[in-house]
Amino acid sequence: MYCTRTVPAAAGAYRLLPSPVEHSVDGSTKAADFAYKAAMKILLIEDDREAAEYLQKALSEAGHTAHMASDGETGFAIADSNEYDILIVDRMLPRRDGLSVIAGLRSRGNNTPVLILSALGEVDDRVTGLRAGGDDYLTKPFAFSELLARIEVLNRRAGMKEQETVYRTGDLELDRLSHSVRRAGKEITLQPREFRLLEYLMRHAGQVVTRTMLLENVWDYHFDPQTNVIDVHVSRLRGKIEKGFESPVLHTIRGAGYMLKAS
Amino acid sequence: MLARLPAIMRTTAARLSALYLLLFTICAVVLVVYMTSLSARMLTGLTTETINEEVQGLAQAYQRGGLPLLVRTIERRARQPGANLYLIADPNGRILSGNVENLDPGVLETDGWTERPFGYQRFGEMGTERRNTGAAEPGEIATGAPPSHRAIAIVLRLPNEMIMLVGRDLGEPERFRAVVRRALMAALGMMGLGALAIWYFVGRRALKRIDSVSVASARIVEGDLTQRLPVTGAGDEFDRLSENLNAMLARIATLNEGMKQVSDNIAHDLKTPLTRLRNRAEAALAGRRKPAEYREALEATIAESEQLIRTFNAILMISRLEAGYSAESVTKVDLADAVRDVVELYEPAAEDVGVTLESGISGSFVVDGNRELIGQALSNVVDNAIKYSAGSTGGPRVTVALHHDDGEVRLVIADNGLGIPDEADRQRATERFVRLEESRTQPGSGLGLSLAKAVMRFHGGKLDLSDNNPGLSVRMTFPNAKDGG
Repeated sequence: MYCTRTVPAAAGAYRLLPSPVEHSVDGSTKAADFAYKAAMKILLIEDDREAAEYLQKALSEAGHTAHMASDGETGFAIADSNEYDILIVDRMLPRRDGLSVIAGLRSRGNNTPVLILSALGEVDDRVTGLRAGGDDYLTKPFAFSELLARIEVLNRRAGMKEQETVYRTGDLELDRLSHSVRRAGKEITLQPREFRLLEYLMRHAGQVVTRTMLLENVWDYHFDPQTNVIDVHVSRLRGKIEKGFESPVLHTIRGAGYMLKAS
Repeated sequence: MLARLPAIMRTTAARLSALYLLLFTICAVVLVVYMTSLSARMLTGLTTETINEEVQGLAQAYQRGGLPLLVRTIERRARQPGANLYLIADPNGRILSGNVENLDPGVLETDGWTERPFGYQRFGEMGTERRNTGAAEPGEIATGAPPSHRAIAIVLRLPNEMIMLVGRDLGEPERFRAVVRRALMAALGMMGLGALAIWYFVGRRALKRIDSVSVASARIVEGDLTQRLPVTGAGDEFDRLSENLNAMLARIATLNEGMKQVSDNIAHDLKTPLTRLRNRAEAALAGRRKPAEYREALEATIAESEQLIRTFNAILMISRLEAGYSAESVTKVDLADAVRDVVELYEPAAEDVGVTLESGISGSFVVDGNRELIGQALSNVVDNAIKYSAGSTGGPRVTVALHHDDGEVRLVIADNGLGIPDEADRQRATERFVRLEESRTQPGSGLGLSLAKAVMRFHGGKLDLSDNNPGLSVRMTFPNAKDGG
């Protein structure tokens, strides 16, 4: 639902979604295994009261602390004088618009990751949003699981894995320089796209990665492909990295996406 | 008529006629004034020249025979018909000889050329008047009678203190001036009348035509889109304007019809899933159920909602594309890359349903476009092709080909599925929400091809469907990139 279009930002837009704690992971993995491990302090700048309250509740159920601001000016002041892990900023806000809040914070040296929420969803809007200093862009209406997956990835983006040349998850190993993948010491041959897919999943190992995140980051497309094309790619990759090995590493999270995790 | 005068004055025709009238008048006046002054000057020059010649002749006579010969010469010349004016007077102003009987007082006191034309009466013309008035004595210069002619003259003093006047009547140039003045007045009058007539007829005609257009548009404004503006068949600018406006109205009516169709279709296509959604929720609430059943109902509800949102998104996307997407988002895009990306994205999914998806592309096909939109349009078409060829007998296959043709780039997606055998159906297939009967069973909003078509229009290209015997062939035509690329 993150596609490239506008849907009026109604409070109801958020209600389409399953609550995060109800996610079940296929096989033996439970949502609880990952949902609570990195509690974040989040500032939510959103003028739609009902939507904001719903998000706040859902975020706290997911183990995070969310503070609210209902207009741009207040949001800017709070974000400027407090430390947050993530800012969630609506684009259209009273008193000061979202992009100006972000630009203002960036100009004051505040580099907290920002997720922009928007009722606008054209390619251009996304580009302007990211140019203003946003780190990710989500169009309303969206699934809460999508938002949650994105802020968790944003929180960790600040650093660690970008510089590493070799990613390791359990006995799975990916070398970004030699473009080789091994599991339990055994070489696995992947197509270039499969390699990029695995690379992205491994960079965010232990985090939920949604289908749209994969489509954006691996294929660089922001539209809705209608059919389950991503699922088929993932299941092919899964075949290559799991077949002939004992334990599953690539898990399907129902209603959300995928997660790479050593058992 | 009078009441409508201000209205007429507001018409372009009337304003133009008034303006032309003014311009013509100014030109005519300037021309006439120039002409008259020029010819008057010429006539005056001629007059003074004649007088000078006379004076010369008389001077010779005076030199040869003194005063007596001069007087004789004058008397002789004065008797000739249409003669110049001659007069000899004593120093007191008493007329001694000549053909002038009476002239304005003071003329004889001048020396040389008279400063301005003066009035006079010829000898013999006074008879009747003198009887009437009984004024001046013979030989006296009458002062009371109004002189009826005008002339200019030269006044000379003879050596014996006598005064000689030689002059020429100004009747001719004066008449000429009067004729010109009358002609000018008449011409101006005619022009004025002509302008008024043109003004009245042209202005009134224009006013009438515009009135009829106004009346027709008022009816259209009231909601009768079938109304058309009157076309007289004269082929003038009013007809052209009306024809263009009629063409515009026809286009609006078509669009309006299309909108109506779309809203009907939206209402239908959205009502069905909404009804399903509601029924499912209602069914879940009726009676006691296990948590797993609630869960299942809720998940189905979410899935249904997502499909609805998808449909809305597609509608909005199409509207935005039709309203004109930002041209900023256009860059150079190599269609070969776009095809490779989309084919690569869909290939596994196609294989899963037993469809062979292939493309044999070499070289580059650069167009001006938006990679995201092209990718979306192409994936919609490819997705369709896979859906409708899956399950067809004899190895379902979708091929994507690219080639240059006549300054265009053609992207052809062909399948060997059921296709759309009917030409009319193929035409309709790209309209919004049109889902041909056989495709109703397939999931989808019915907007995939419409969206692809809107994307092609945005790129200044087009999308056509043709029969692939069997199957459907979708051709997306892009104009070549503008400069080299």
